[in-house]
Amino acid sequence: MSQNRLLAVLLGVLAALVLVVGGLSAVLLLGGKSEEGGGTTTSGGAGGAGGDAKGVLRIPGSDPVTLDPHIAGDATSAEYIVEIYSGLVTISPKLDIEMDLAEKVEISQDGKQYTFTLRADATFHSGRKVTATDIKYSIERASSKELQSPTAITYLGDIIGVREHFTGLAKDVKGVEVIDERHVRFTIDAPKPYFLAKLTYPTAFVVDKTQIEGNPRNWSRKPNATGPYKLAEWRLGERIVLEANAKFYLGAPKLKEATYLLAGGSALTRFENNELDVASIYVNDIDRARDTKSDLNKVYKAWPQFSIAYIAFNTSVPPFDDPAVRRAMGMAIDRKRVAEITFKNMLQPANGILMPQMPGYTPEDKTLPYNLDAAKAELAKSKYAGKMPPIQITEVGAGAEAAIDTQAFLELWKQIGLNISIRQTDFATFLADQDAGRLQAFNAVWIMDYPDPEDILDVKFHSGSPLNDVDYKNPEVDKLLDAARIEANPARRLEIYRQAEKKILDDAAWLPLYFSQAHVVVKDGVKNWFEPPMVVPRLRFIELAR
Amino acid sequence: MGAYVVRRLLWLPVVLFFVSFGTFTLARFGPGDPVSVTAGQVRDPEVLAQIRRDRGLDSNVVVQYIRWLKKAVQGDFGESYLQKGFSVSELIFPRMWISAQLGIIALVIVFVIGIPMGLLAARFAGSWIDPAIIGTLLFLQAIPVLVIIPPLIWLFGLQLNWLPVGGWDGVFEIWWIAGVVAIPIPDPHLYIPLVAFTLPGFVSVARLVRVSALEVNLEDFVRTARSKGLSETAVQFRHVLPNSLLPLITVVGFALAGVIEGALFVETLLGINGIGRFTFEAVVSRDYDVILATTVIFSAAFVLMNLVAEIAYGFVDPRVRIGASRG
Repeated sequence: MSQNRLLAVLLGVLAALVLVVGGLSAVLLLGGKSEEGGGTTTSGGAGGAGGDAKGVLRIPGSDPVTLDPHIAGDATSAEYIVEIYSGLVTISPKLDIEMDLAEKVEISQDGKQYTFTLRADATFHSGRKVTATDIKYSIERASSKELQSPTAITYLGDIIGVREHFTGLAKDVKGVEVIDERHVRFTIDAPKPYFLAKLTYPTAFVVDKTQIEGNPRNWSRKPNATGPYKLAEWRLGERIVLEANAKFYLGAPKLKEATYLLAGGSALTRFENNELDVASIYVNDIDRARDTKSDLNKVYKAWPQFSIAYIAFNTSVPPFDDPAVRRAMGMAIDRKRVAEITFKNMLQPANGILMPQMPGYTPEDKTLPYNLDAAKAELAKSKYAGKMPPIQITEVGAGAEAAIDTQAFLELWKQIGLNISIRQTDFATFLADQDAGRLQAFNAVWIMDYPDPEDILDVKFHSGSPLNDVDYKNPEVDKLLDAARIEANPARRLEIYRQAEKKILDDAAWLPLYFSQAHVVVKDGVKNWFEPPMVVPRLRFIELAR
Repeated sequence: MGAYVVRRLLWLPVVLFFVSFGTFTLARFGPGDPVSVTAGQVRDPEVLAQIRRDRGLDSNVVVQYIRWLKKAVQGDFGESYLQKGFSVSELIFPRMWISAQLGIIALVIVFVIGIPMGLLAARFAGSWIDPAIIGTLLFLQAIPVLVIIPPLIWLFGLQLNWLPVGGWDGVFEIWWIAGVVAIPIPDPHLYIPLVAFTLPGFVSVARLVRVSALEVNLEDFVRTARSKGLSETAVQFRHVLPNSLLPLITVVGFALAGVIEGALFVETLLGINGIGRFTFEAVVSRDYDVILATTVIFSAAFVLMNLVAEIAYGFVDPRVRIGASRG
């Protein structure tokens, strides 16, 4: 009996061990195999501790939502897309609109017709020539009813016929005509000076009809496109490898390969461990980066970005339907001190709505001046004086406490007699509430899509704009914005935008808080690295010297 | 026994039905939706509504659930919202595999070290050695991974420069000798996550083995073995050890179900592309189909592994064998 039982026990233990060991060896076998498989296709981008990857630029990244340029609406996806694809026009590192697939454009007298001449040497990665038909196909695909691109109307909606095509009323886009193989004409609904800027966005990029029709579901995993880089590898969550397109029409890029490492924890730690060539610096490490005695300081640089953080007031709900309350809150915040103390000046206090480098930007402070007494006086003028309804500001967050700058603002507002509460939600809830107009006031960030004041002043503050999420209506501002849309003289146009900006700031529909900055460290051997204020093609301007 | 297993397996679809329906409805009735998250700055209500219509998100929950169920039983878990153009299976299985590899290796290490520690503690029960071992292991368990990982990264990555500070590169790295002989060695990316995974695990195995070994030591057959004049070593290895391992089978069952779930904190801190971190991201961005698929797979694994543990236990210990004839 005891013998039998012992035998059974031993067998059981053996079975358990077999289970575990079997699993392990399966792991080892398969793991080993996939390792071999991986070894042949990669060129050692990941690198072990201290291993330098020669000729390969190693950048931290994350998975793009999609590599289909026509449906991408986020900056992460755009970062890869602008390297792989290209369009008729592009944005240079200096933010000028430059010719790309087109070698020249002729604009008609009335400013409504754009005739592009394509480069004779422009080809897809496969070697096929880019023709005017490809341009027409791409615009029609981007604005098709089937694709439901979230960006089509914003970027292509000015072209005659795009809206009809998008809603399924028209089979093609009337405003895009193929003249001959190398000439294509765009007709827009009104003379709009920012139209070319919109065409630099991925929604207007060129795609390969043959490839898409041959593999409609998965083509964008290995796109045949026209940009300076080809997608050589995309391992979800692990890495993306871009390889130089030697036949690129503007010349073969000097940087042969860029590997975006999508996993791997803290980028700065990996930078210091020589696993990455570039990394961002956050507030915990900024003192070290700024310390002139540290190694990081030698490779550290800050770059302004086209994005602004702000508090938005829903101008149709009490008490924010009264401009006096909004203005009072604006006068009570000291953004310079808050930026210095809570963010160690990693963000630049906003002096208006338009950020530095943006056409129309002026360096003087256009925000309501910080003055607690004036704020109190403003509040006393309000129709809500003495009977202030409860105020709640919503922000995205999950901590037990509000963002540190919001806490500082709460203290300042207390000094003018306003007791304001903070509500934190997750991102999805925040968006749902914001879209439904349920938020009384909220913390948000706007990132520019193209370097034109229209992309923020018109898009966020025109009473007819779907993105005007604060229900702001000022007929005078609308009039200015309408005029700027079609003003052909660039200087006069910017002047109109400046006037609109001033009025919006005086109305305090937004409390602009800070302009963001990119704080990065870059390894010595990486030449010409730059952090553009918005997503622009940049890899082909970079060189590796090691 | 066979009937019992069949009966349990028949319950599986029922369990999965309730789990999936519950998850499905909870997600749909919660605030926010994936369309608004992935649309980025595009906030035109008409465009968003059209995308919702195209995705079938505007019909009622039961209709949506039935549509999902029909596809799911054919193995199609839908498409991700966060990663457009990729099926849910393509997204979750490779990540689950990475988490599982780490998890299984960690599990083996936990057992290989935990079992001797438990036996040692039991052997020296009453002396200072027992509390020293268990105390140390309890201490290790009490350190959160959030605390243990940064110093490991600092020491082995930044200071000594021996190990990479994050990421995942497979289980093995191949060392070539003269380009002919391939020697597989554990990949350096493994060490830090393994330490983080295993340190808190030793104590539960060790304590279980210790208690069980203490009990077994008092059993008649052990006394008999000793009275036969067997050496203490022989008694410990031939009689005490195998019998002390019984309760561990249950632990193995639960632990095996756990390995495919991954670990949010370790994966996030070390940037490992595993399923734990991914599931968390999916929840935050309301990637409905991904949330649902992982929940269903985790539940299925949990039920199945428990069943395996029960069967194994019954096989090892006839007293708990269900349906066994009692003569």
